[in-house]
Amino acid sequence: MNALSKPTAVGSLFSPARAKSPAAAGHAPVIGSSSSLAAQGRLPLAFMGLALAWLGAATVMLVASPGVLALSHGAPAVVALAHAWVLGVFVTAATGAVYQIAPVALGTTLWSERYGWWHFALQAVSIPGMVWAFSRWDMALLGHFGTAFALGIGLFATNTWKTVRRSGCRDAVAWSLILSSGWLLLTVLVGLVFGANRFWRFIPLDPLALLRAHAHLGLIGFFLTLFQGVTFRLVPMFTLGDVPDWRPVRAGLWLSQLGLLGLAPALAWRAEFAAAASGALVLAGIIASSRALHQTLATRKKRILDPGLRAFVSGSVMLLIAALAGCALLWPGSRGGSAPGGFNAMVYGVLVVMGGLLPVIAGMMCKIVPFLTWMRAYGPKVGRVPTPAAGALSNPRLESSALGLQALAVAPLVWGVWTRNSVWLGAGTWLLATGVGLFLVNQWGVLRHLRPASTATS
Amino acid sequence: MNAIPPDAAAVWQALATIPDPEFGVSIVDLGLIYSVECDAGRVRVAMTLTTPACPSAGWMQQGAANAVRQLPGVDAVQVDLVFEPRWNAKMLSVIAREQLGIAAEA
Repeated sequence: MNALSKPTAVGSLFSPARAKSPAAAGHAPVIGSSSSLAAQGRLPLAFMGLALAWLGAATVMLVASPGVLALSHGAPAVVALAHAWVLGVFVTAATGAVYQIAPVALGTTLWSERYGWWHFALQAVSIPGMVWAFSRWDMALLGHFGTAFALGIGLFATNTWKTVRRSGCRDAVAWSLILSSGWLLLTVLVGLVFGANRFWRFIPLDPLALLRAHAHLGLIGFFLTLFQGVTFRLVPMFTLGDVPDWRPVRAGLWLSQLGLLGLAPALAWRAEFAAAASGALVLAGIIASSRALHQTLATRKKRILDPGLRAFVSGSVMLLIAALAGCALLWPGSRGGSAPGGFNAMVYGVLVVMGGLLPVIAGMMCKIVPFLTWMRAYGPKVGRVPTPAAGALSNPRLESSALGLQALAVAPLVWGVWTRNSVWLGAGTWLLATGVGLFLVNQWGVLRHLRPASTATS
Repeated sequence: MNAIPPDAAAVWQALATIPDPEFGVSIVDLGLIYSVECDAGRVRVAMTLTTPACPSAGWMQQGAANAVRQLPGVDAVQVDLVFEPRWNAKMLSVIAREQLGIAAEA
């Protein structure tokens, strides 16, 4: 007997004896064949595995020397640690998520799975080399690994652009994918140029100012831009809600783009007023997106948010608080600067990375890793044997504890950085490490479902 | 010996065993099954998803076909994925509302 399943509804093939009123055929998304379904999720899952490995490694780096956070943000150890967290954990998880989200959000298929795997290989090899090169402050070595990383991001950006082009979509979500991948590529290329500048000194600007410009290209250009779009596909999907008004979504996206176009050069050239004005535009963009998120959450039918979504939302709020802190630092005449201690760039950095990016990315992983695992372990069994829900693969208590401890760690870390107090830094680091440890245990428990023996009995 | 072809009730029952991977609620209780047509061993199902961007669309469609195909007397199965009318919360059953913690008026 052959299955006659088709992605779109077709005319009646036989005289019907309807059990319910008929539904007219309508638009359907692209649904793959059995073989393409079987391949689904493998690439993003590989990225998630790599990001989890990096989460463990980056936490070990921090536990090994929490005092690094009391240094200036230009110190080699700080730059190495920041790249371990931002590239190793966040960029790896976010790019992997794009490989999963972009095709489904746009109703198409990924342009090239092969490009994705090349990107994975280049990313797996280059980030450890970059972190090592930063810690040794070996700019020649950084150039080699940085070039490999840039090649991988180039493949990622091309893949994303081609996928969006194939879909024909040009809504806010599509634009956030186009723009964020473009900014990521630009950030990496600019980082390579700035690294070369440390070697040959061909840009007559303060290297620390260039470092800030580079960091904001990535933070605002890639992460914020991505969140400002895909959030409005994911949150309604997970909460049975809707986006009641797309205007604040679009306003948030374009205000941040406008702000970043001014902010990056203003930071590089130390143009105080231009930087403050551009920072205010980015802040306005974040406020517009926060309003859109609030409106979207208000429409949700599933009232209780699961731990991953709660972390995602609280991380978004922390990004807004971090942006306020960033604007305060940009204010002309602000005393905050690069010197260690007090309200400075490191306080802002910890707020962004540990307070904002970590819960947003970890929360997203709490949703996406179980789902990808479910697709591979249980998807082919749907309708043949009883299958669990994706959320049932993880332990909600462990998940809540992990995310809660990570959130609790932010306050002592910020205070420790502010006061340069090793006790607070140690306490914050251990809270964070415990939270990360529980998170990894939970994620491992999810990934164990991929073993054939664990799914055979389900 | 040929089995007796299933009626619509049996097909609905088979589809009710499939949980949605995100919410853990049966796809029948979620209101994702729009219609079932049975004619001498040939079964046609019209189903939808809570959102057209649902990443599990392929598995759900194929899973529905698998569940129906397992019924005795089924010769052919066709599962159509439709998005008109768009799914909405009013299509949820009382059981699904309880499982999802949704107020009755939602």
